[in-house]
Amino acid sequence: MLLDPGMELTLRPMRYPHFYDRFRDAIKNTWTVEEVDLHTDLADLRRMTPAERHLVSRLVAFFATGDTIVANNLVLNLYQHVNSPEGRLYLSRQLFEEAVHVQFYLTLLDTYVPDETERHEAFAAVENIPSIKRKADFCFRWIDSLGNLDELRTREDRRAFLLNLICFAACIEGLFFYGAFAYVYFLRSRGLLNGLASGTNWVFRDESMHMAFAFDVVDTVRREEPDLWDDEFEAQVSEMLAEAVECEVQFAEDLLGGGVPGMSLTDMRGYLEHVADRRLELLGIPARYGSANPFAFMELQDVQELSNFFERRVSAYQTGIGGQVSFDDEEF
Amino acid sequence: MTLTDQSQAAPSAPAADTAPPATAPPRSTMQVRKRSGDLEPVDVNKIVRAVARWCDDLAWVDPLRVATRTISGLYDGATSAELDRLSIRTAAEMTGEEPEYSRLAGRLLANFVRKEVAGQGIASFSQSIALGHAEGLIGDATADFVARHARKLDDAIDPDADRRFEYFGLRTVADRYLLRHPTTRLVIETPQYWLLRVACGLSRTPAEAIAFYRLMSSLAYLPSSPTLFNSGTRHTQMSSCYLVDSPRDELGSIYERYAQVAALSKFAGGIGISWSRVRSRGALIRGTNGQSNGIVPWLRTLNASVAAVNQGGRRKGAACVYLEPWHPDVEEFLELRDNTGEDARRTHDLNLANWIPDEFMRRVEADEPWSLIDPDEVPELPDLWGEEFDTAYRAAEAAGRIVRQVPARELYGRMMRTLAQTGNGWMTFKDAANRTCNQTARPGNVVHLSNLCTEIMEVSSDSETAVCNLGSVNLARHLLIRPDGRAEGVDWARLRATVATAVDFLDRVIDINFYPSEQAAASNPRWRPVGLGLMGLQDVFFALGLPFDGPEALELSTRISEEIYLTALETSAALAARLGAHPAFSQTRAAGGKLQPDLWGVTPTSTARWDALRAAVAEHGLRNSLLVAIAPTATIASIAGCYECIEPQVSNLFKRETLSGEFLQVNGALVAELKRLGRWDEETRQALKRAEGSVQGITGLPEETRRLFRTAWELPQKALIDLAAARAPYVDQSQSLNLFLANPTIGKLSSMYRYAWASGLKSTYYLRSRPATRIQQATVGVRPAAPAEDAVACSLENPESCEACE
Repeated sequence: MLLDPGMELTLRPMRYPHFYDRFRDAIKNTWTVEEVDLHTDLADLRRMTPAERHLVSRLVAFFATGDTIVANNLVLNLYQHVNSPEGRLYLSRQLFEEAVHVQFYLTLLDTYVPDETERHEAFAAVENIPSIKRKADFCFRWIDSLGNLDELRTREDRRAFLLNLICFAACIEGLFFYGAFAYVYFLRSRGLLNGLASGTNWVFRDESMHMAFAFDVVDTVRREEPDLWDDEFEAQVSEMLAEAVECEVQFAEDLLGGGVPGMSLTDMRGYLEHVADRRLELLGIPARYGSANPFAFMELQDVQELSNFFERRVSAYQTGIGGQVSFDDEEF
Repeated sequence: MTLTDQSQAAPSAPAADTAPPATAPPRSTMQVRKRSGDLEPVDVNKIVRAVARWCDDLAWVDPLRVATRTISGLYDGATSAELDRLSIRTAAEMTGEEPEYSRLAGRLLANFVRKEVAGQGIASFSQSIALGHAEGLIGDATADFVARHARKLDDAIDPDADRRFEYFGLRTVADRYLLRHPTTRLVIETPQYWLLRVACGLSRTPAEAIAFYRLMSSLAYLPSSPTLFNSGTRHTQMSSCYLVDSPRDELGSIYERYAQVAALSKFAGGIGISWSRVRSRGALIRGTNGQSNGIVPWLRTLNASVAAVNQGGRRKGAACVYLEPWHPDVEEFLELRDNTGEDARRTHDLNLANWIPDEFMRRVEADEPWSLIDPDEVPELPDLWGEEFDTAYRAAEAAGRIVRQVPARELYGRMMRTLAQTGNGWMTFKDAANRTCNQTARPGNVVHLSNLCTEIMEVSSDSETAVCNLGSVNLARHLLIRPDGRAEGVDWARLRATVATAVDFLDRVIDINFYPSEQAAASNPRWRPVGLGLMGLQDVFFALGLPFDGPEALELSTRISEEIYLTALETSAALAARLGAHPAFSQTRAAGGKLQPDLWGVTPTSTARWDALRAAVAEHGLRNSLLVAIAPTATIASIAGCYECIEPQVSNLFKRETLSGEFLQVNGALVAELKRLGRWDEETRQALKRAEGSVQGITGLPEETRRLFRTAWELPQKALIDLAAARAPYVDQSQSLNLFLANPTIGKLSSMYRYAWASGLKSTYYLRSRPATRIQQATVGVRPAAPAEDAVACSLENPESCEACE
């Protein structure tokens, strides 16, 4: 079984080919920080209101550490327990992607915050910005919950693993990051910070894959060990998401405190609740809030993009295209 | 909702002056800060009234919902200007559920802009021009013209014409086209003032100006962006395209080209530049007895130079580099936009195009070797095409004057890979481009490259940079509409009138234009080429219910192109009779009696008119050596609110990403059809979103509806190529033809581009494809019971455990 302790090395026959397929799909999404053009963002920052600039500075401060936390948990808690070489291929790939995200936000901060003292403060956000510290504490608590386990022997161990996995997929990548994406896309819907948004597009695409993989692992474990999952467990997950929503709402109070037209705290809460419900539904757990999505600009992220090639770099291409030259392929 | 009649099904919107609506609006304790500085409670009814003013003919709009949603996004203490802007955005964001909200948002925005202009004491068109002139924005000639005819021109302004704009189009206009005060940054012209200003910049009499203004303000025709930006201003650079021949193989020439490209970019021109004459890596440099580093370092410098030019803050400079595939650096060239590898050998801001002789494609077909030849060694190749090229190329091979050989298919495969992974590395065909070009009748006149968008095909040389100014007819505004609102065909008479006016005004640009380089100034007055294009072909097909790949669509599309080209020629011949033929007319194929249909060997439909035309050309010549080019119309199509040029829709529901922000676009024709079927409801909208804008999976739709509303991803690309090939005999330049493959493979691509070449196309443009995976949609309900795609997809990795095949 997937969570049985060990260091499985055999790729043939492959036990979890769907993990391998995800690994291959992820490779097609390769992007590099050098492709992101941040130069127009600086002009935008200058013409934003103080309240909007506050929002942006808090947001990038969160980004500065968010992906590093996820990467740490991946190495420290997830990799050793997912005992499938093809699953570990995916996790290795995910780790690379987290590293690219860290590099992206590092570059972003260096560009956005030219003052060295301010820059150091931003990178130390986890310590000195209370609204970010609270989110980080939430993450650390769940990292620590698995910290001492070298092997998942008991039912309780395995439930702890699942909770950790769900926390990172549904609450951190699936909710904290989705909250952050909403701010970025809100700004872009008004033509602001295109550089941040184009990098975020790619991050968003990667995070979506990470979440899908994690949920795939959850489903696999549930199939293999149905008894791990019961009402009590579901209640725990639901509580955990509720806590994450509150964490993110207090972050929003900080970000939106100066008054940002088009993004009220009420709407932000509604959005987060809506997203939390989606995560619960994906896990087959009843929705908790029943909130509708109030942000029309988030609908924009759910549909195909059509860029004006004169104005933007297009993110829709794939890498690693295969096949041979031939002239009788009729499928075009 | 099952009602079929749109007017009956419409919810009753409050009339303009009757408020409040029946349901009591929610109370709000929020306050706004007025311009005076006083705080005032937010009044829902006031917002409802402000919105309802613009809804008289928008039956599906609910002003109360706009008002309540606006308030929900507001914060306590916001300013009233913030409230106004928020209400506009809020209305725009509701477009996804009802396209009429886009019209509403456009009207609210137009009103906002008009208020901003009026707030500066500008009460008329002539006052706007006078202020612009005083602030150094408007040119003396236009200012003088407007001052002399102030009353007539002021009276011509039709503010109601603003109602034709969709939100996205008007947002683009307001953010980037309207002139702004240099210090306050407030707009000093309304959308209608802007169009009349553009018309005045190109007119000699008020009557001409007003006629041209009316044509543009009806959105039946729009000139390209540089003309819309710059006409009537102090910098009348109105051309879109410049085609710069390759620098000669020497340092001085290369640096001259950098300077020329920078000057041409500065005022919104797009650049095509060839690099085929510059020696390759490892070639000897006699002056220093060193070896060349090849073309990549030069292109890096070009890249930096292009990226540094900011076109008045409106967009970045842009250039496309053309290279012939016999150049020994071609493989590195194809990697210039890869996102992996050494960044010192990448040019992320340059576009790339292959300028391909037929000989290369023949060797690919025959699976033969292909020789890479240094231009230092055989410098004549860029100036030869057709049989002369074939002879010279084979002679160089026979003489051993080659650098090395590669299998032609291997190089072709690399080209395909570049297209798949970057969309770039456009396939353009040198021999086809020259064979039928009106300018290449005499030896020495050679088309060396195309432009930034692959639709311009004009001769160039070391001392002549080809220039083209463009405009496009909006076919969506040339439909005959029956009293019941349905379209019954193309309004041919209107189309002819539009083309005649358009060609006349494109021709004028040539004389008024500011040429940023002497090479450009040397070429354009001799050849006087213009590029009239079209947009909204997909709108026409939707309106007439013609599937994109059907025989009727092909016939109509070809007929439209014939009409446009024929009328353009007639107009140009008439201009020649009045003003004289262009100076190089004697060097053209037309002077020898050959027009495009003759060169392509097709028989047109309007034979009598073609005969009359030939007589006129024989007598007076033509004012313009080239007339028709189908440009991508990315920006002007959105201003006009139609689909881009000759393209199929990419999706029934998509977002546009531009410098102004992101905008949801819904296929209005589909929405109307779904309303007719009683299916435009939340369930269908969610299904449409989940399927990324495809209607194929929506249950219960008639087969013909599904067929009509296929997206570019769902159409056979053969059909796009066939349509392009059928209209090619009526396009004397070329077409920006994008091709769409969601999941490209080298096999599919190599077959597709060979088909395009064999069809005789002169050029293709981007290959569009889709990301390998999608984001987790945030606003769509989790996929209902249907199994996840992963589960049914056949995994070849482990056939034993694949349930889908059992």
